[in-house]
Amino acid sequence: MKKLGWKIWLLIVFLIFSLLAIFGFPPTFMQKGVLITSVETDSVAFEQGLNQGQIIISIDGNVMENLEAYSNYILEKFPVEEETKIIIQTKDGEYVLFSDKIPKITVSEIPKTNIKMGLDLAGGARALVQAQDKELTSDEVNDLAEVIETRLNVYGIADVDVMPISDLSGEHYVRIEIAGATPTDLEKLISEQGKFEAKIGNETVFVGGQENGVASVARSGQQSGVESCQESSDGGYYCNFRFAVYLKPEAAQNHADITGALGLDSENPGYLSEKLDLYVDDTLVDSLFISEGLKGRVATQISISGSGVGEDQDIAYANALENMKSLQTILITGSLPFKLEIVKLDIISPVLGNDFIKSILIAAFASLIAVALIIFVRYKNFKSSIALLITSISEIIIILGIASFIDWNLDLPSIAGILVTLGTGLDDLIIMLDESKQGTSISLKQRLKRAFTIILGAYFTTLVALFPLLWAGAGLLKGFAITTIIGISIGVFVTRPAFSEMIRKIGE
Amino acid sequence: MEEENKTNKFEKFHDRNYKKLLLIPALLLVLCFVYVGIFYSINGDFIYKDISLTGGTSVTIYDNLDALELEQDLGSKLENVGIRVVYDLVTQEQKAIIFESTSEGDVVRDVLEEYLGYKLSSENSSFEFTGSSLSESFYRQLLIAILFAFIFMAIVVFIIFRTFVPSLAVIISAFADIFMTLTLVNILGIQMSSAGIVAFLMLIGYSVDTDILLTTRILKRHEGSVNERMFGAFKTGITMTLTSLLAVVVALFVVRSFSIVLTQIFTILVIGLCFDIFNTWITNASIIKWYVRKKNK
Repeated sequence: MKKLGWKIWLLIVFLIFSLLAIFGFPPTFMQKGVLITSVETDSVAFEQGLNQGQIIISIDGNVMENLEAYSNYILEKFPVEEETKIIIQTKDGEYVLFSDKIPKITVSEIPKTNIKMGLDLAGGARALVQAQDKELTSDEVNDLAEVIETRLNVYGIADVDVMPISDLSGEHYVRIEIAGATPTDLEKLISEQGKFEAKIGNETVFVGGQENGVASVARSGQQSGVESCQESSDGGYYCNFRFAVYLKPEAAQNHADITGALGLDSENPGYLSEKLDLYVDDTLVDSLFISEGLKGRVATQISISGSGVGEDQDIAYANALENMKSLQTILITGSLPFKLEIVKLDIISPVLGNDFIKSILIAAFASLIAVALIIFVRYKNFKSSIALLITSISEIIIILGIASFIDWNLDLPSIAGILVTLGTGLDDLIIMLDESKQGTSISLKQRLKRAFTIILGAYFTTLVALFPLLWAGAGLLKGFAITTIIGISIGVFVTRPAFSEMIRKIGE
Repeated sequence: MEEENKTNKFEKFHDRNYKKLLLIPALLLVLCFVYVGIFYSINGDFIYKDISLTGGTSVTIYDNLDALELEQDLGSKLENVGIRVVYDLVTQEQKAIIFESTSEGDVVRDVLEEYLGYKLSSENSSFEFTGSSLSESFYRQLLIAILFAFIFMAIVVFIIFRTFVPSLAVIISAFADIFMTLTLVNILGIQMSSAGIVAFLMLIGYSVDTDILLTTRILKRHEGSVNERMFGAFKTGITMTLTSLLAVVVALFVVRSFSIVLTQIFTILVIGLCFDIFNTWITNASIIKWYVRKKNK
């Protein structure tokens, strides 16, 4: 066996690098623990700094081998009568929680590889929004993206990716992607302008947003929550919520000035003649009586209430909580600068994702076997056929490795891209095998060089054909273009040179 | 000996008839032009578009619903309702139903929820809505992308061969591939999605491969006769296309039950690869042979 040439070594280096990128070091499938997929924002766990994406290694010193171990331990421990201490050990540090309730976090098994699946496979939501009847400048789009992102974060959706994008025809969009489970009122949250106004008569006391009149909004504890639930006359239920809003001095002064000029309500003794009206997007959502004692007072705290309805008490309660959360979000983040329109909304269920990936693997494997058979029948040379298969499989591994390394989400178009690469890759290998047997008057090295002129020609035509797709269609097909470009480039510059060396070795 | 005889016979046949052979693709291409022309005048477009290109809503419901019943009950309430069923690969059990309509997302959701009697969430369904203005611009851009891809490809081909007729032969054969595939896709009544358009882009890559192989072997090599080089290239090229074709057919067979997107991509590739065999080894081969013979005279 002769020494391996540098081209094969290069391939080996790329393969090792890719395997490390895919499986991590030490390999993630050997890691113990459970992965935190979400943390409720109004929970003790959140306050203590536990975050989505952290890995819980042990709780109170007990190693959490897997999901089952975690749920067994937690269910055994909670709920309890009084506040208990638990120590959660994660990869990044130790967290101590005091609580009498189950920690409001959801966990899952640690993924076995670093390969990330796109929304269309793993589930999640994607929306493209655009300003209604208005052309936005790129600055305005950037601002918009920022407001939407804060809004989703305040609402408690952490794993969200908000990106301003533009396409070939110069249209600007904001793209919002949320991995995993999707909140039910996502549409409202991203497209509702959320202009909050508190008015007395025709005069504005304050508007929503922490840049404006709102100092802070109570979101947990005594000052915020669903208070009571009742059966309504039509057989359904409704629940009331209430939370406190703290005003900035200017807003509080407004309140004093406006109420100071009001008289008393003759029909409702004890209250002022005008009410405090709350508007969201110019719709009246609530009217509060102002008690006599507040006349002319600098009020820094007001209490806002509302309700949620449902067929049964649980649904009504959940709806009230949701409504409260969205109202709080609007109050904190202020209104979006423009009226928005959702031009595309995809909410993909995570339920079938795994089946889907399994089926794609079956498809790829079946294709590879079929190709291997043809190659073997055609060349009747075991060694070259094996070399060809090794090269093709290496190509897939390296593409997946690079995708993991650059955190690329593999969506359906990307997978189609991998298949294209595999196809053109095979074509090139066949060209090389055949060229190596042609024109025996020149050396094998020369013959393989000639094969490369054909391969490079084919490479450049495919490469330039892919470029326009990087910009067309709001980037939704970028996945296809990127994976294919990575794939064919790796093929031409890494795997095929290695293959040519393999053939030479076999030839010798 | 016998095999050599056969090759000789075929060589003689090809030498006599290669120019006449060109008539077949020429005639076919004219027929395709006529068909697509008529198609365009009737439909106002080159293809049948699915909702990813016209705008509309697609809801995948993971429930054992009766497709026919659903279509009958909701067909009148929503615009252009179409229903497809997704089966499990192994057990062939119904896994989900895909409900499509060109109506707006909110409307479709409300109607479906009322009909089903439960709320649609990401637990029990997937929901996709594309606004019509977005899809229109999407479609336009994809067409522009294909056009540019084709032009870029043509430029690269000219740079590689630096001679007019052979380069043109490659480009004509790639064009014929795409156009014939488009025609057949229309004849089959396939509703094209954005993924389908991407498949056409892949086709540019696949079809040019064999053409470049053929042209390089004939123009840049000097061993043997033109015919020998051509048959050599044919042997390599047909192996390339057949392996690709087989891989795609096998994959198509697997994905057919569960992914409409991949099924469409693979179907278009299968059609395109078949036309590629035809166009590389008849259209392109004849033109280049003609060119070389004329130059050598």
